[in-house]
Amino acid sequence: MSLLSLRGLSTEFYSGGRWLEAVSDVSFDLRPGEILGLVGESGCGKSTIAYSVMQLLAHNARISRGQVLLGETDLLRLEEADLQALRGSRVSMIFQNPMTALDPLFTIGHQLVETLQAHLDINMHEARRRALSLLRQVGIPAAEERLRAYPHQFSGGMSQRIALAIAIACQPQVLIADEPTTALDVTIQAQILQLIRRLLVDERGSGVLLITHDLGVVAQVCDRVAVMYAGSIVECGEVAALFAAPQHPYTQALLNSLPSHRKARGRLETIAGRVPSLGDRPAGCPFAPRCPHTKERCENGRPPLIKVETGQEVACVLYD
Amino acid sequence: MSSTTETPLLRAEGLSKFFTLEQGVLAGLRGTRRALRAVDSVSLQVHAGQTLAIVGESGSGKSTLGRLLLRLLLPSAGRVFFQDSDIFAMKRAQLRAFRRQAQIILQDPSASLNPRMRIGEIVREPLDIYREGSKSERRKRVQALLERVGLTSAHARAYPRELSGGQRQRVGIAAALALSPRLIIADEPTSSLDVSVQAQTLNLLAELQQDFQLTYVFITHDLGVVRHFADRVAVMYLGKIVEEAPAEALFAAPQHPYTQALFSAIPPPDPTQRVSWTPPQGEPPSPLAPPPGCHFHPRCPLAMPQCSRVTPPLVSREAGHSVACLLYE
Repeated sequence: MSLLSLRGLSTEFYSGGRWLEAVSDVSFDLRPGEILGLVGESGCGKSTIAYSVMQLLAHNARISRGQVLLGETDLLRLEEADLQALRGSRVSMIFQNPMTALDPLFTIGHQLVETLQAHLDINMHEARRRALSLLRQVGIPAAEERLRAYPHQFSGGMSQRIALAIAIACQPQVLIADEPTTALDVTIQAQILQLIRRLLVDERGSGVLLITHDLGVVAQVCDRVAVMYAGSIVECGEVAALFAAPQHPYTQALLNSLPSHRKARGRLETIAGRVPSLGDRPAGCPFAPRCPHTKERCENGRPPLIKVETGQEVACVLYD
Repeated sequence: MSSTTETPLLRAEGLSKFFTLEQGVLAGLRGTRRALRAVDSVSLQVHAGQTLAIVGESGSGKSTLGRLLLRLLLPSAGRVFFQDSDIFAMKRAQLRAFRRQAQIILQDPSASLNPRMRIGEIVREPLDIYREGSKSERRKRVQALLERVGLTSAHARAYPRELSGGQRQRVGIAAALALSPRLIIADEPTSSLDVSVQAQTLNLLAELQQDFQLTYVFITHDLGVVRHFADRVAVMYLGKIVEEAPAEALFAAPQHPYTQALFSAIPPPDPTQRVSWTPPQGEPPSPLAPPPGCHFHPRCPLAMPQCSRVTPPLVSREAGHSVACLLYE
């Protein structure tokens, strides 16, 4: 059983008079009680996937193909009103900048109560009681007083805790976290990641889609990971297996290029060339122009994900 | 490797920078001003050809310190010596000579490169200002610099927006190198880059250090980068250096409880090291109202009663490893 399933999702952006595919034929399953990492470099389409699931895409973007299944329901077939009822209740999202989710003009107590009353049939007194309990769960000190505070009165780390409190207010089955700790200091990052695991996964058995560019975060908090390159998932599997034996040439290169604070100095591995821009992605395997193992076959369309011996799925003709 | 007896290229003594913040529109009239102690009595030295990393979280004062070391800010107290000359006492001609020898590379090249200038003009600007060589010599020098950082002369006619983030950072590096400096202060030079591009940039900076015997002060929050790059590391917390040591020694056995907390909070990119994470609790206090005594004591798992009263001095313990903590008194 999976909580959230993407089936062949493709999303396009309109630019310079034509539609350009930013996300190409992406499929994955998010299971209950797991954190699935979606990792990749800037522009690989990982955030576009999040916005496609929530259907919060910009006006120049559209989903061209595929299904987004929340349980049995295809979100892409829902009316806006039905979607609105699901967002924030069954599936919620937190962002890199917590201020994206907080309204500067209202107290955080007001914003929590508003979310609770929008989705649950509860009175003001009960909503206030739950708001207070949520603030305590996410670790806001002096929660009772802080209900009356405005977003600007909180630090970045505290704001992200509040955004998380609002996101989990209605006990969603799925949380999408888009680079939730990228703007935070490393000591605060660790606290927020632990909080997400405890509140969502350990206590509620929800699923979390964690979008990040940080392979350290993936290694420490994710159960499974999908690696993206130029709009496609190139490798997907259990975190332990994938880090122990990365199979796709891009995953291998990415892991090799990391400077580690546990490893002494030396020349870092690099990847020749650069990520193709949205307008000139190759027709075949998107990594082929930079790959040390390129063959002629690599130009014949994007390779599908194939299960390999080490357990993960890899999109590469080397494993045909 | 330079020995410690040699005169350091750069030396700071008791360096402090306080910013005065006015509270509200009438505060100036009422005289309620508060001082933010961004950098508080910092002493350090960097030997020629070496790399000192300054590590800390936001608000630790590391970027302010970097700017003081280049006299881009004037200090509230303390002195900085470049080759034994006090940079804050320098007069015009001397300062001009200092500026060509000490350059800065900034974090976000898209913010630090003038969007209206072509790449060639940006790299040539320092040469123009210092009237280096003839026009054709400058053009050749720009071409050589661009090639040295992995760009081509074709890039000279492009505007910054036409380049990728990694390429823009190379332009920033080429411009910093134009006057053949001895010292480069790099403020989070790879923080806005993707890992694969970060690796290319770090390799380039390492090659340039070899080729031109550059001395680096690397300001960063990324301990992976520090481990890879630094000879010595200074760890800052709320304006003060809490620990300073050779990189090997610091990574092998961090002494200050804050350094230990910082290291333990970093997620290593290796799932086999998935430990029970024990990140420090609480948030760094406001630099406007730092706790008395040791600034870290409210978050410190090993705090003792005297830690809230006594400000621990930075004391050298062994082989150039200094710690500011009462546990080691």
